[in-house]
Amino acid sequence: MNGSNDAVSPSSTSDYLLLAIETSCDETSVAVVRNGREILSNVISSQIETHKQFGGVVPEIASRKHVESITIILEEALREAGVGLPDIDGVAVTQGPGLIGALLVGVVAAKSLALALDVPLIGTHHIAGHIYANHLVGDIVYPAIALVVSGGHTEIVLLEEEGKFRIIGRTRDDAVGEAYDKVARALQFPYPGGPYVDKLAQEATEEIVLPRSWLEPDSYDFSFSGLKSAVLSEINRSRMKGETPDFSALARGFQQSVIDVVTGKAIRAAKEFGAHQMLLCGGVAANRGLRERLSSLCEEAGLPLLIPPNKLCTDNAAMIAAAADLKWRRGQFSTLDLKAEPILSLEDWSV
Amino acid sequence: MKTIGNRDEDSSVTLLSFDTSTVAFSAAIVKDGILIDSILSFSERNHSVRILSEIKELLTRNGLQGKDLDAIAVGQGPGSYTGVRIAVTAAKTLAWAWNKPLMGVSSLEALAFGAWNALRAANEDGVPDRDTWIVPIMDARRGQVYTSRYAANESGKWETVDRDGIRLISDWASRIEEEATSDSCTAAVWFVGDTATHLTAIQQAEKSGTRLRVLACDMDAAAVGQLAELRFRQGERDDVHSFVPNYTQLAEAEAKLIAASRGE
Ligand SMILES: [Zn+2]
Repeated sequence: MNGSNDAVSPSSTSDYLLLAIETSCDETSVAVVRNGREILSNVISSQIETHKQFGGVVPEIASRKHVESITIILEEALREAGVGLPDIDGVAVTQGPGLIGALLVGVVAAKSLALALDVPLIGTHHIAGHIYANHLVGDIVYPAIALVVSGGHTEIVLLEEEGKFRIIGRTRDDAVGEAYDKVARALQFPYPGGPYVDKLAQEATEEIVLPRSWLEPDSYDFSFSGLKSAVLSEINRSRMKGETPDFSALARGFQQSVIDVVTGKAIRAAKEFGAHQMLLCGGVAANRGLRERLSSLCEEAGLPLLIPPNKLCTDNAAMIAAAADLKWRRGQFSTLDLKAEPILSLEDWSV
Repeated sequence: MKTIGNRDEDSSVTLLSFDTSTVAFSAAIVKDGILIDSILSFSERNHSVRILSEIKELLTRNGLQGKDLDAIAVGQGPGSYTGVRIAVTAAKTLAWAWNKPLMGVSSLEALAFGAWNALRAANEDGVPDRDTWIVPIMDARRGQVYTSRYAANESGKWETVDRDGIRLISDWASRIEEEATSDSCTAAVWFVGDTATHLTAIQQAEKSGTRLRVLACDMDAAAVGQLAELRFRQGERDDVHSFVPNYTQLAEAEAKLIAASRGE
């Protein structure tokens, strides 16, 4: 049954199609990817409009929405890719980390498909997906440093070789995206507020300088809760004095502090570990201020930088296929007893 | 629509049925109303891990493949939100991938129908010409149950009296008792399913001393398959894409939002 349809994969007998499913948070996404790198389709159904009214993602509602759309998105992904179910050679799915109820829908759908089609199943790490989104747009040169910035994650990951993940720095409290959303709320932007803060910071003419949280001199870890508090107390301070807080100067101050610290640490890590490449990924990689600063720092350091386009930075299934490809090529498959894991170690997921 | 009584091969119906709305994982192969094989396991909160391996095992040991099935039947809830989603997601995806009809069945009705089958087997199916009420209950915490009511008799009657809902067991049991008292057509009332948890409330509702009876029993996917087959033979089909669990209530956040918008 597998790979026998030469009409669809004419180039060589080694062509293979992975169908990937991602449902770890509030996006239902299905992709069909050829040979681990060529995106035939990458359908993303966002629930953001639903969750907006609650001011954040409601796990139970996210799970309900995933069930509502899962087979619709599966069908759309096949149609867009111009392939049929019998052409699919393997099924990949986000196993974790993420919201357990949301993950479960994708995992059960993926296992059902693997059973129905009698093809291998690959449980995939969500962050490995964000990192390997870069493999959909360019060649990764090892050793590489990946700076992962998203709503749920802020990590510096060392890849000494392909598929080997070592976390050298992580946030001790809020993720960058989380800090952005909290500050956005203080600045009275609707959820999700990250992009508003980015835009306001870009346009600002003044900056209220806020502290940088570097932690211990040799640490690659992050902490953003103090910075968030600094924003809040600045707002309070000016209100107490009967002034109107300068939101744009605050947004800029906040953004500059975040960018200084994350890019500063990433560059230092690249130097210390002799990285040949920097990878930026995760939903917050769409932040213009962050992209620009990291680009110029990497240029100064003579370090090649890869950043996926926005659609591959936010949660999507093509990135899951790209990471699953690491395991596909090594024949490392999951069983039908694959379990969704709200907490899953990236390092342990290494090939 | 398939014609009953048609003697050609086509009149035979084979269904794969399963349910994960309760602590039990139950799957069955039902052919022409007869249970061929089934699996029952208890792995609370872990249905998602074993469900597909169990289904695969069930099919394999009966020499069946997806193409041999006429339909996929599933318990649509109510029950544990996460639990119901697991079976519904598997059923939708399998039906879609195998291109087979999907038949949703109320998990409560299946629980009741399975109990009724057990009562009949034990010659507890009541008095001729009078009904027995079957009241399935699943614990929904804080004194609440997911429940409904069916009227059955020994000549094959099976009718819905009350639809699936979430109710306070104390009020519900009292109401059933009152209605049974004034309804001369009803000979007996059986509370079935998760009765152990709510035995006190049921006993407190009892007035006559003999009418309300209890049968503790687990979900039986054979009943899911049998009920689905009845619908299947009538030409009914569920739409795979729009098929969703019957939660019987809004998510808590939605309920709060609606209450807030009304100024409550
Ligand atoms: Zn993500």
